[in-house]
Amino acid sequence: MILLNHAWRLVVREPRRALASGLGVMLAAALLVSVVLFGTASGATVTRRALADVPIDAQAVLSTGADANAAAALLAADPAVSTVLPADVIHFDSATLMKAGAATQTSIGIVVGLDPKFSQVTGLYGISQGSLGSGAVAISRDLATNVGATPGDTLTFTLPGGSTVDLKVSGIVNITGADLLLGPIDAAHRAAGANAPVNVAITDRATAARLAAAIPAGTGAMDPSAGGNGPTGGTAIVTIPEPAVRHELDIRYDHAQLPGDPSAAKIWLDQVRRRIERQANGTLTLADDASASLESVAKDLAWGQVLFIFLALPGVLLALVLSRFSAESSAESTRRHAALLRARGASERALLAVFVGTTALTALLGAIVGAGLGVVLSVGIFGTELAATNAESMVIASVLLTVLATTILATLAGAVPIRRQLRDEVAAGRHELQRQRRPLWQRLYLDVIALAGAVIVYVLVGGSGVHPVLNAEGNPTVSLALTSFVAPFLLWVGGTLALLRLVGYATARSGRLAAALRGPLGPGGELAGRSISARAGAASRAIVLMALAVSFATSVLIFNATYRQQQRVDAALTLGADIKAVSTARIDSSAVAMVAGPGITSATPFSDRVVYVGSEAQDMLAIDPATLPTTTQLSNGFFQGLDARAAMAALAAQPDGVLVSAETAKDYSVVPGDLLRIRVPDASGNLRQVDFHMVGIALEFPTAPKDAFMVANLAYVSAQTGDNRITSVLASSNGDGAAATLQSRLGPSWTVADIGTTTARLANSVTSVDLQALVVIDVGFAVVIAGIGVMLFLLAGLSERKRELATLLAVGADFGQLRATMIGEASVVGAAGILAGLTTGGLVGLTLLAILAGVFDPPADLPVLPIAAILAVVGAVVVALVGAVLVASRAAVRIDVLAALRER
Amino acid sequence: MNDTIQCEAATRRFTSRGLAPVTAVDAADLVVRNGEFVAIEGPSGSGKTTLLGLLAGIDQVDDGRVTVLGHDLARLTATERARLRRTKIGVVFQSFGLVSALSAGENVALPLALAGLSVRDRRTRALEGLAEVGLPDAFDLRVDELSGGERQRVGVARALIANPGLVLADEPAGSLDNDTAERVLSLLERTCRQRGASLVLVTHDPISASHADRRIRMFDGHLINGAA
Repeated sequence: MILLNHAWRLVVREPRRALASGLGVMLAAALLVSVVLFGTASGATVTRRALADVPIDAQAVLSTGADANAAAALLAADPAVSTVLPADVIHFDSATLMKAGAATQTSIGIVVGLDPKFSQVTGLYGISQGSLGSGAVAISRDLATNVGATPGDTLTFTLPGGSTVDLKVSGIVNITGADLLLGPIDAAHRAAGANAPVNVAITDRATAARLAAAIPAGTGAMDPSAGGNGPTGGTAIVTIPEPAVRHELDIRYDHAQLPGDPSAAKIWLDQVRRRIERQANGTLTLADDASASLESVAKDLAWGQVLFIFLALPGVLLALVLSRFSAESSAESTRRHAALLRARGASERALLAVFVGTTALTALLGAIVGAGLGVVLSVGIFGTELAATNAESMVIASVLLTVLATTILATLAGAVPIRRQLRDEVAAGRHELQRQRRPLWQRLYLDVIALAGAVIVYVLVGGSGVHPVLNAEGNPTVSLALTSFVAPFLLWVGGTLALLRLVGYATARSGRLAAALRGPLGPGGELAGRSISARAGAASRAIVLMALAVSFATSVLIFNATYRQQQRVDAALTLGADIKAVSTARIDSSAVAMVAGPGITSATPFSDRVVYVGSEAQDMLAIDPATLPTTTQLSNGFFQGLDARAAMAALAAQPDGVLVSAETAKDYSVVPGDLLRIRVPDASGNLRQVDFHMVGIALEFPTAPKDAFMVANLAYVSAQTGDNRITSVLASSNGDGAAATLQSRLGPSWTVADIGTTTARLANSVTSVDLQALVVIDVGFAVVIAGIGVMLFLLAGLSERKRELATLLAVGADFGQLRATMIGEASVVGAAGILAGLTTGGLVGLTLLAILAGVFDPPADLPVLPIAAILAVVGAVVVALVGAVLVASRAAVRIDVLAALRER
Repeated sequence: MNDTIQCEAATRRFTSRGLAPVTAVDAADLVVRNGEFVAIEGPSGSGKTTLLGLLAGIDQVDDGRVTVLGHDLARLTATERARLRRTKIGVVFQSFGLVSALSAGENVALPLALAGLSVRDRRTRALEGLAEVGLPDAFDLRVDELSGGERQRVGVARALIANPGLVLADEPAGSLDNDTAERVLSLLERTCRQRGASLVLVTHDPISASHADRRIRMFDGHLINGAA
């Protein structure tokens, strides 16, 4: 207690020393709290965005004989429910097409009966060809492919129980995004990962009722998984059959009521489900689709948070290094105080306890202040998102854990130099006679080992440790191995130590440095060169601290710039371009002129129609190869065997050219130059055979689905089919407001979507997070750490060399010469640190991008070098250096020369 | 002009927050003639070092006037006072005042380096200076490779390198054993006399002061006898 009391008095009596020691801890705590809270806030963003993509939050399946109207009223009365939409799911055992005297039959599937407004409210079941006529069905592309049906054909559905119903096909429906609604809803099937059927038809509810009436009551469907596209989970173990007819009420919740954190949101959804089921008293069972989506989100978010912390980890370590650096810089004060305590009879153990206690107290104070600063920064930078999480307990837990962790780490980091200082004090005389040994890590070549380890791990994980995979619900999620971070981490550690070794060698052999600095800075510069040589250890630590801070900022900036570019490419891939304008009226290429106008830099016509290759239905994207490349960004990664420019040039040069998907090229064994006979619908919907010649393979294309599609010339397709209709106009814009302007210019008969809203609805949740706030925090801290590091170096130099500086003044140095000395020292530390930092930062950034390449879809062609942002960081570091020189110069002016000269 | 130093009612006061002002040098009158060796004796805290700081132009008087080598120090800027120190005043310190980043020779040449002399000229003159103090082979030695006496001899060589008209020595033998102290003081006295430089020695040691032409006592900031 006495020792603790003494330690506390030491903190209070030497506030400058305490401030210097606590500064690094404060920065570490502030950065850590900010990053953890950023993760929490991004959780809210991710949850909101993930659920925005869920068309239906829950399916209330009515029990046999339940009153549908009463159940709908009950659901609508629940405060969490915003929309209730009825739907009927009728299973069929097979669908058969009789054509040209031959019958083609497919296996099981479902017919879904919907109200007309269902598609409007949910955005599901868009008709991509034909229409949904009364008493007819619109069939999925897979069903069309499986039986070779086209609009106008009649399908015979064999229902459970054996009866058959003939229904006319009036169109092709897009069932993308409806997997959960179409799949089995019982827990056993869902847990087993059963697929939704691909043979799907939609119809009006009256027709669905007619089908249901033809099925005997109580009949079960065949195992729905048998109709899937192959097993993805243990469907064989599921034996409970689905009922052949399912009446359900599809529900959308009021998302404003949902907690931001995905785990809390799942709990909220579960509570709503239980409440509704309790009130329904057995008349319905709720299948929770939103929770199923949140499961993958929670997993992605957990990995995302690992990524955020990894991006910020170097900053936290740097701040702790700064803390150790400042502890070392107060060695003189520690030495004096230790001598005083020794004179009063303190044992070595008591001395250690006092100084480590002092370090722990300053660390605790620094951590508390830093955590508070982190909260303030977080509220300032992403307060709105943070408030949306309602995660007060998370904030409190983050603050407490950060304070605890940083206090322990900083105490350990500070205790090592203190122990050495006390030991060196005793052995000082001996040390003068001994040659100083290199640090243990240098003797063990840990830098070389870490760098070699980075290369080995990088090679072993194949350059990419992250892969997007499809989960049971068909949503892309991120599979990320923790080993992904090992290579960049080892590179960072190895690079740091190697840098320390090299800088140590360079500064210790800097006879030329003094001569080089004498030219521009005069005698003060020469002294700076000598001083850096003499203080090679401290100088190399300052250079490395500066280099790491710049490296940290650079790697984060490179990663973020590429990440943002790929976010945009990803969004452009989904939407097609910056802006996509779709009209409810029939439009042709002349609509491009309507779209062109203020804010629009380029526009191109775009047509998507379902065509048939053999019996297989595919999307044909008909484009104008002259204007598309100037309107949307075509990545080289979209094409196989040729780059984007060559692909468009090939199409432009050959009017009947077609780019096919890799799958089509493989299935039909076609190579560039081969003839493809494709059936393309004309203006009346009848299929016409059109000859194309393959010019290449497209792996991905704006707006294209990931599987089968082809890209052809719009002019050729229009001429061959006599149908010049287009589905949309794609446009590039020069600003965020262009879409709104265009929407108001075109009027309500057009729907204008822009990339901003699409970016918010990206496929996987890690890349949907806006890293800008994290980057601002990380880079801001890097600049502050660099500035403080150099200032500590200069001020610690002043403190250590006060007598020397006083001597210089006494023998005739003027303050200008002292300032030149400091400018020289800061210049060497700054220039070496910035150059080394840019190099290692670039390497770490590139490694991180290579490791995380799988997060991006498509992968980046080349990493983006944000030159302006990096120059801004370098500029900020230079400003911090100038500030450090000014502060140190002012401190030098205030040296009491006579008092310093009297010190022993 | 026969006087190296003319001090007229030189006064230096220090104020600390919450404490009464302390007059470290109180209306001191002092004249040191060219080539004269003056010892200023007094106990610790009597104001000797403060007076030395005023004479070196490191510190400035609150009242009175200090003229050194014909320069009224109050009329000079800080830069001009620094230039005066490096060209015309040599200073020797009790704690040697050597810069550890520099070798012994570079320490000797420091005033010349600050004055902008070329490396070659500095080296030549520093070697001569070191030879004069009996350390002809010490140019490249690090400071921590020298004994206390050797360090102080390097300090003496540095004080004399610019051929100053005035050498100010603050307890130059204070950190040395008796024999070494005697040798260093003799060296300082001899070299100053050879060069015709005035020497002001500040000390509390009567034996050191006994070398001087004139001894002046200082007590509580007052110069007691023989000041003029």
